[in-house]
Formats: sequence, C-alpha cells, structure tokens
Amino acid sequence: MAATRRLQKELGDLKSPNSVLKKSFRDICVDESNILLWHGLIVPENPPYNKGAFKIEITFPAEYPFKPPKVIFKTKIYHPNIDEKGQVCLPIINAENWKPATKTDQVVSSLIALINDPEPEHPLRADLAEEYTKDRKKFMKNAEEHTKKFSEKRPAD
Amino acid sequence: MAAQAHAIDYDPERNYDEDTLAQQREIEKEIAESQPLISSLFTFDDIVEEYTREDEVYRHKIENLKTRYANLRKTRGDGNCFFRAFGFGYLETLLSNPTDYQRFLEICEKSKDELIALGFPQFTLEDFYDTFIDIVKQVKNPGQLEKLLETFNDQGLSDYFVVYLRLLVSGFLQKNEDDYIPFIDGERTVKQFCSQEVEPMGKESDHIHAVALTKALRVPICVEYMDREGQTCNSFMFDPTESPEESSPKPALTLLYRPGHYDILYPL
Repeated sequence: MAATRRLQKELGDLKSPNSVLKKSFRDICVDESNILLWHGLIVPENPPYNKGAFKIEITFPAEYPFKPPKVIFKTKIYHPNIDEKGQVCLPIINAENWKPATKTDQVVSSLIALINDPEPEHPLRADLAEEYTKDRKKFMKNAEEHTKKFSEKRPAD
Repeated sequence: MAAQAHAIDYDPERNYDEDTLAQQREIEKEIAESQPLISSLFTFDDIVEEYTREDEVYRHKIENLKTRYANLRKTRGDGNCFFRAFGFGYLETLLSNPTDYQRFLEICEKSKDELIALGFPQFTLEDFYDTFIDIVKQVKNPGQLEKLLETFNDQGLSDYFVVYLRLLVSGFLQKNEDDYIPFIDGERTVKQFCSQEVEPMGKESDHIHAVALTKALRVPICVEYMDREGQTCNSFMFDPTESPEESSPKPALTLLYRPGHYDILYPL
C-alpha cells in the first residue's frame, strides 16, 4: 500500500514537464496492473553514449520505499560499470545504505551521471575499465561503434 | 512478488549479492512470522522462562522489575525496535492525555518545515510526514487503543512512522552538530553518521539516538537496562529539559533494554 501511493506520486513528478530529467530520462512506461515495474529510456549527453539511447528497467520491491529498487539495462551498452547482463552497481541503491527518503529521480540522476562519466575504479567489467584507463582513444572508438550498432534511436527533440 | 522472481531469473548463479539478499529475506520472514511488530500485553511470568534461557541472571532482574512494573509489550527485533517502541508507547500514553497530545501535535507540525529547511528532499519528507501525522492524530480520541495497535502492526504504516522518527533524529543531530560531533566515532561528520546510522531502516539505536529523539520531541523517557551485570536493572532517565536530578520530570514512558533490544514497560 505504501509502495503504490508513493510510486504513483513519484511517477507523476517524473512525467511532469517540470521534471529536471525530462530530456535525459524519457518514455517512462508503467503497466497499469503493476506499478512496481517501470521502463524508461536514458538519453545520455556525453560522448560516446550521446550517439544513442538506452532502455532501462526499474523494479521496485513490494516493501518499497523501505527496500531499494533495482535497475537493469535492457539495451546493450559498452560501459565499465555495466555488465553484459545489464546489471549496474549504483551505491545509492545498495541495500546496506539505502535510505527510504531517496527518490527515484535521485536514483536515475545518479545512473545518468555514471553513464556520462564512467568510474573505472569500481568496474563491473574489468576489461573495459582497463581499456578506458589505458587507451581512452580506443575505448571511445569501440564504445561509439557499439552504441551505433546496438543502442536505441534518440528521440527527435 | 512477481517482480522479485523476475530479477532473480536474470542471474541464477553469478550474482552473490542476490544470494545474500535472498538469505536475509528468509531470516526477516522467519522473524516476521514469529514476532508481531508490537505485541499485546504480557506479564513478567509470561516471559520469564524465555528471557532466562539466555542467562539465569535475568530471573533476578525480572523479579526486581516486578516490584515496579506490571506488564510489558514486546517489539520485533528488526533494528527499528527503539523507534517503534517509543512511537507506540508514547502515542498510547497520549490516548489519555489530551494536554500532552496538543503539545506533541504542535511540535510535530512544526517539524516538517524545519526538516525541509535542513535540506531533506521535500517530496519524500512530505510523504513520510503525511502518514506520520495521520497516525499521531489517531490518538486524539480516547479509546482508540485497538486501532493504534493495528496501525503499528501494519508494516507499511508502522515503517512510515519509524522513518519519520529517524528523520527527526537526523535533523536534530545535524542542527546541533557542534554538540554531538564529539560523540561520533570514526572519522565521520554528523551528516555522514546520520546517513549511515540513523536514516537507513534497520540500523540499531544507540544512546545518541535516544538523546536526540527525546530532545527533538521533548518527551522524557526512562530506560531500564537489563544486562548481565549485577542483580537489579539500572534505570536511566532521558530528560530533554536537562533539569537537575532531584527535579527531573516523570517519564512519559519506560522502555526495557536488553542488549540489542527495546521493549515497552508499564508501571504498576
């Protein structure tokens, strides 16, 4: 009950034209029968990811907001902090540190910040982190090709 | 719970985090099934054998408690017991104390803007506040004890109440940062301490939490410490007015502390 009421409010805020994330997190889509499962499109600003957009899935536990949501990438991405299964390690939703007062837009902002600026010190893909640190040019080229090949189309506006 | 199953399908063997979480969930479920968040009233005879199983010294201490207290309520050991025991125990006393109710309501109503001014995100703060204040207002009318007990045993509502008390403690410590920084261990700021040890659910309360909560809400409480030392319980008064010992106010409620856990005591 607590989860539903709060998620409806959060969703309303994120979909509003006043949302600070309206350019970078869009096409938010929630099945009416299940408010605990959200889909959305991340539209990054920084190269090499600004050549495309990335679908994510946010799953909220029934105990939300007392337990954190989970985020999974549904679009393949060449990124040191996101593994082949689309899993991402975001400290803000780490079960140990999760605070019920954290809002979903803070989670998404923190995700977008991580996409735009990879953190090779805490990689989920060590190979990409190494490439990113040691040969940035090669990383950028690979990541851009990968983005063009696998990512979603960016919205026109 | 379909969402949960779905997330686990993703990576059956590789994600050790998932395993740990699943195990944690199992333990929580077991505790939840065996302990209500706030129990009905027990006598000391009801619980003496259970407590004594841990240590024989508790038998003497319970005899000692019997000379001063009639009953107790048990709370679930989920790391939130101090806040939940305080919340239920204090609201229960307000059922028969309209003057104090009015005073408490005013403090609570003022707290929302104070916390927003301290930088808590308005949206979530209001969300917690709204539920919190609805629960406080339940005790305006006497005779609502059953309803209060039901509310505090509704996990969602009860946890909303606990979160708001945690935010009040965090706000109080941050507002009085200079007074509390000496009591914080490790190289941490007060803000870091609050974000690691106060605001997350399930983080156990220490002395500093109790001091901050009783001061923030100006509610004097007494805690009876039942540890393994000595033959009697040591009582400690958390007095928000800091009056000299001989004139310290009557506690609004009394909690029973056993290492790591708080229950609610009812005087004779």
